[in-house]
Amino acid sequence: MDKSKREPIKNWKLWIVFGILLALITPWYFPTSFGEILIYGIPLWALLIIFASLLLSAFLSYVLKYHWMLEEEEEEKEEMKKGVR
Amino acid sequence: MDLAFSGWSGILILLMYGLIMLGVGVITYLRNRNIHQSLDEYYLGGRGLGVMVLFFTFFATQYSGNTVVGYPPSAYRMGFEYLVSVPFFIMIIMAYLLFAPRLYSMGKKYKLVTPAQWFEKRFKSKAVTILASLLMLYGLGNYLLEQLVAIGQGVSGLTGGTIPYQVGVVFFVVIMIIYGWLGGMRSVAYTDTMQGIALLFGVFMLLIGSIIYFGGLPTSADYMQAYSPEKLGVPDGPGVVNWFSLLVLIGIGAAVYPHAIQRIFAAKNERTLKRSFSRMAWMPFLTAGVVFIIGIIGINAFPGLSEGESEQLVGMMASAVASQNVIFYWAMVLLFGGVIAAIVSTADSVLLTFSSIISNDLYGTYINPEASQHKKLLVGKLVGIVAVGILILVAWFPPATLYEIFVLKFELLIQIAPGLILGLYWNRLHSKAVFAGMLTGTIIASVMTFFDYSLLGVASGLWGLLINLGVCVIGSLVMTVSVVEEEEAKQVIGM
Repeated sequence: MDKSKREPIKNWKLWIVFGILLALITPWYFPTSFGEILIYGIPLWALLIIFASLLLSAFLSYVLKYHWMLEEEEEEKEEMKKGVR
Repeated sequence: MDLAFSGWSGILILLMYGLIMLGVGVITYLRNRNIHQSLDEYYLGGRGLGVMVLFFTFFATQYSGNTVVGYPPSAYRMGFEYLVSVPFFIMIIMAYLLFAPRLYSMGKKYKLVTPAQWFEKRFKSKAVTILASLLMLYGLGNYLLEQLVAIGQGVSGLTGGTIPYQVGVVFFVVIMIIYGWLGGMRSVAYTDTMQGIALLFGVFMLLIGSIIYFGGLPTSADYMQAYSPEKLGVPDGPGVVNWFSLLVLIGIGAAVYPHAIQRIFAAKNERTLKRSFSRMAWMPFLTAGVVFIIGIIGINAFPGLSEGESEQLVGMMASAVASQNVIFYWAMVLLFGGVIAAIVSTADSVLLTFSSIISNDLYGTYINPEASQHKKLLVGKLVGIVAVGILILVAWFPPATLYEIFVLKFELLIQIAPGLILGLYWNRLHSKAVFAGMLTGTIIASVMTFFDYSLLGVASGLWGLLINLGVCVIGSLVMTVSVVEEEEAKQVIGM
């Protein structure tokens, strides 16, 4: 397979990060006291879930941009050709 | 939902939305007159959807009117445990990464129009393709039925009963069929864009109004601390299990909806598809997050509602906000028009995919492969209209018994996932195993739903999916695929 081609499913390192993020967006690791601490009306545990969710979105954006590259190069070449004509 | 402020202004706004949708259909038709000769042009917008339009049309398949009307009551009842609604929408994008990159390549290589066509290409088995097509048609049909009922209820609620349920359904269904017929995927995607913007605007106005009028999260948290501290607490054991199964189920489930898959084929190019997904990854904070906050504010605004009463929460809050001043009044009218438009936009996507499976797979591949594209299209459109007609009758005269057969949607649609996804990567996947898996998964999920039987608190659709997956994998390992078949599969995938 072409080296310049990248497919997210083949990159196991990415899925380790996704696994960690999946663990972080599930509220299994908080002590009960995190439900009593409120920051602007949001319990601390919920705030951490929101933070972890933001991390997941950011990581998804990164993977989409840099680790998914199957057709893009060829498509861009085609675009260029059309542009020249 | 009954709204104190609705009535004539509601009728006006609905007429306006209806006219705009029709206008979109007519303009699309005039600008693209040649689309009725080609399945590609009609069902996929000529594979030319750009980032914004593609994004909004994905948005419309994931977020329906139900997100706005149905999620705040859940947040109201469950408290912060319902915060799960934000990450589960992000999970959908993660699930796409499992198959969308390769499926887009396959779609491009083989000019795929429907998900069923991928089954045909990959397994070359009439049985698998027809079973997958029927599952999708059945699931989509019931999904459409649900949207039609929601349109009727929404319209009669918004107008305070001035427009009866039936008139509301017929009005919007006729408009939907006309613009769908005229412009196909382009019409659907353009109206999705308009509908998405209206919905986002309305939801934000409701949030701002609620904060001004009822107080923000701190006020609500004070109330919860005093009267229902469990709504602030960390979820307990079963709560965590439920949270996690929602993440997995919704992530995979919503990603393999046939109308969602079809949109992968409609992207102009890979970069467009990636950018649309990237935006989708951030949307949950602006949609699910906002409606979640509205539900939490509702805990303080309308305390002590019963489960049935809480279903009306959004209507009550919007009525209260609307009575503040004229800007909020019209914003709330726009919001409810937007909710109905969002339901219509989900319904039109479902109908288009329904027709495409008839056109391309059942009629176009097996019944009359020699037909011209024009004829295939016509058959798909007409069968779609007949199906909508039957569903409207079912919605009006719900059968007293066997009503469960109209409930199965998700349970069936998800059964195509193992064949679809494994088939993309595993050359040794056996077509007979895929067929057997799909069939057993469907039967198990249906029977469990039918008799309302649940096991270990896991949803029936997920049990069906697990058994389906097991049969696929074990069956493929037991029945050896011939070298020729394996080589063929390798050729098809070609990666």
